[in-house]
Amino acid sequence: MTDFTFATAQYDSGDWDSAPLVPANVIDSLARYTTIDVAPQGVIVPLGSDAIFRHPLLYLTGHLPVRFTEAERRNVARYVERGGLLFVDDHNHDVDGAFHRTATEELRAAVGPLAPLPNDHALYRAFFRFDDGPPTTSHELNGWGDNLVHPNLLAVQRGGRIGVLYSSKDYSSEWNYHPDSKRFMSVDNTRFAVNLVVYALTH
Amino acid sequence: MSAPTSRDVRANVRGARRVLLAATAIRALGLGVAVALAIVAAVALVDLVVELALPARRAARVGALLAGLAVLAHALWRGRHAASPAAVALWLEERHPELLYALVTAWELPAERGAELDRLASRVDWRATVVGRAMRAMRLPAVALAVASVALLLLPAGSRARAASPRAGDRVDRPALARPVDPLASIAVAVEPPRYTGRPVTRVDDPTTVTALAGSIVTVEGRGELPAAPTLSTGGAVALRNGDSRWAARLVAPARAALLHLRAGARERLLAIDARPDAIPTVRLVQPARDTVLRAPTGRIPLAAEASDDIGLAQSHFELIVSSGEGESFTFKTHVLGAVRGGGVRRAFASALSLDSLALKPGDILHLRAVARDANDVTGPGIGSSETRTLRVARANEYDSVAVEPAPPPAEEKSALSQRMLIMLTEALETKRPRLTRQVLTAEARRISQDQAKLRKSVGEIIFMRLSASGDEGEHAHGEGETHDEEAELLERARAAGEHDAQSLDFEGGESPVVAINRPLLEAYNAMWDAGRELDQIDLRRALPHMRRALAAIQRARQAERIYLRGRPPAAVVDLAKVRLTGKDKGDPGARAPLAALDTAAAARARRLARAVALAATPEGASAAVDSLLVLRVDVVGDAPALAAALDALADAIRRGRTAEATTAALRTRRAAAGEPQRRDSLALWSSLP
Repeated sequence: MTDFTFATAQYDSGDWDSAPLVPANVIDSLARYTTIDVAPQGVIVPLGSDAIFRHPLLYLTGHLPVRFTEAERRNVARYVERGGLLFVDDHNHDVDGAFHRTATEELRAAVGPLAPLPNDHALYRAFFRFDDGPPTTSHELNGWGDNLVHPNLLAVQRGGRIGVLYSSKDYSSEWNYHPDSKRFMSVDNTRFAVNLVVYALTH
Repeated sequence: MSAPTSRDVRANVRGARRVLLAATAIRALGLGVAVALAIVAAVALVDLVVELALPARRAARVGALLAGLAVLAHALWRGRHAASPAAVALWLEERHPELLYALVTAWELPAERGAELDRLASRVDWRATVVGRAMRAMRLPAVALAVASVALLLLPAGSRARAASPRAGDRVDRPALARPVDPLASIAVAVEPPRYTGRPVTRVDDPTTVTALAGSIVTVEGRGELPAAPTLSTGGAVALRNGDSRWAARLVAPARAALLHLRAGARERLLAIDARPDAIPTVRLVQPARDTVLRAPTGRIPLAAEASDDIGLAQSHFELIVSSGEGESFTFKTHVLGAVRGGGVRRAFASALSLDSLALKPGDILHLRAVARDANDVTGPGIGSSETRTLRVARANEYDSVAVEPAPPPAEEKSALSQRMLIMLTEALETKRPRLTRQVLTAEARRISQDQAKLRKSVGEIIFMRLSASGDEGEHAHGEGETHDEEAELLERARAAGEHDAQSLDFEGGESPVVAINRPLLEAYNAMWDAGRELDQIDLRRALPHMRRALAAIQRARQAERIYLRGRPPAAVVDLAKVRLTGKDKGDPGARAPLAALDTAAAARARRLARAVALAATPEGASAAVDSLLVLRVDVVGDAPALAAALDALADAIRRGRTAEATTAALRTRRAAAGEPQRRDSLALWSSLP
């Protein structure tokens, strides 16, 4: 049995599977940089099922409006209370977009309001050091989506640890390529994903 | 002065009747009220000495009312003869025999108009008899009323109020006979729910737990004076007022369970405030019942929903989000339909969605849900929503296949995106062209040309990989200026494809299906080549049509391929050993075992309960046990409401010193904390039985 299996949340509404190569890319980075016993393939877990409680980190993304079912909303609240880390990334990278508005609304209803995460948070030192906070994405630098470089990630914290981490930076687009293509990059842009996993496993 | 006639005599008899009737009624009323007041005074006196429970006082008040009514009825019954003029006339004849039945005769035989009757009637002053009788009749009730009133006035006001108008929460009104007064011996709590609920104030005597809606005004009252303001475990403000030999602490019920800590010198008391949040409305979308795909976005769709709330609904509506677009480009519009106000605790609402008015396009998605808002203006408003239904307008290219499972975009689609980006960059450069120097323009155009060449190579790799017998040849590079025979042949086919009707993908002649499917890509490849050439010559306007033709061809290729995509995409499995450069062990995927943490919480509760019950076993520890139980109750009310209720009953029984009740409550509490006893199927190992 492995220590860590990357889990993608499957929710009823929207396009939850819009970034199918992100799991493989994150797993590749974990294997490349850490000794964490990681499963070579990610799993897809329905957000409304108890299967999510087997995973310390849950990845949720999409472009379309997010509307949780009652079971999904209840599960998200329980997941956060029981120590899980839900990483939500706006694949639309647009703060005026429907994903952002609906996802933040649903998260507020489930676990409370999101607040900016300080850029000196332990998350940014959990494995690699990111002294300036969350790494920017090419989509931000190209001015796509909302044409903003978001200075912070948003989070809901419980007992001093992050329960929900929300990103408008579109890591889903940034990391959605086959891991074999990583060799062409001068700097691996998925290093922040390693911090996410290490933080989820150690906090 | 003329002699009275028989008509005057009859009027006088009627007057006498009225006086006697009034006297009878006043006497009956006075006696009834006096009896009722006397009973109330007696109850107040008994309550002053021995505290009477609220039901007993309520019963006594009803008894006083009934007794008063009975006396009143009896007195009226006894004086019923005053209602008959003939009886009144007879009654007067009895007291004045000298009338010689003149009154009776005048009443019963009005036709007799004899002067003798008139003379006899006027000879006797029977009016004084009537007035005297009336005054005597009212003497007894007056005395009784005075005595009962004085007795009542002599009693303390609190006792009078408890007997006359008993209500929950009036325990602190009862005068304390003992001195000094213990401020915490007896308390009363009034809970005033928030105004928006429209619910009345509730009062309760000496509770261990108070249930209050979050935001309610909770007023705790007691006798004497409280030296320090109580404190709330959740940290909210508590206002204390001392005066008139009473104290009152006022606070706003918090959003979660809390303990109110009351202190008076060495005496302490805990009051659990079981704050109940106003639940958000529950909403169910009845119609449409399920997600669906619309072939044509026309017509009307009926919408129906049901909403309910624990206190009351303020507003309900349907919310519609229309998302248009695909890939990385989406636009959204939000609409509100069928908004209705009010509705009480439960309501159904309906509307209709006109698809024509939305001007939907193929591929648009409607996200529909019902939303309801309650009237909570203190901690809310609470907004509830139904499940979301998704209605999608089908695209023309998916009519023949609606069972395609989600799949990642094929490689061509990514190329399409990149081609679109190149077009945008070229258009932007063309717009900026007048403001740029020749050198800058040339550099920018050549950079786009290089990107176009890279993209063309990517498309070329896809084409040649498919057309080759071996997939390994896909790795083979096809750079500019290649003279590969097969490629030359293919390019010839591409030129032919470019001249062909772009919409047609039917196979022709000896063309293989593979070639036919790749024809649009070949066309794209060719167009990209032309575009790159124009870009190298800094002729952006002539490059753009080629670039757009390439994009259109890629789109056609994507559409042509999509109908063959079925099932899930091949999963990307990371070769961990390869990445880590170690061995060939591929690991064993699996999920983590679930944590088993809940039992420890239950065990901790059971231990705390056992300690509290052990405290209660000693006479001096009862108060501490009650406090411990209340603290435990506040801690568990969220996770184990059944245990919280059992703890409440146990604490109350211990506080009131009811041993038998406490034993039963302790048993129930222990079962709620630790579960039902487990039956063992086998004898223990130490059993002496063979």
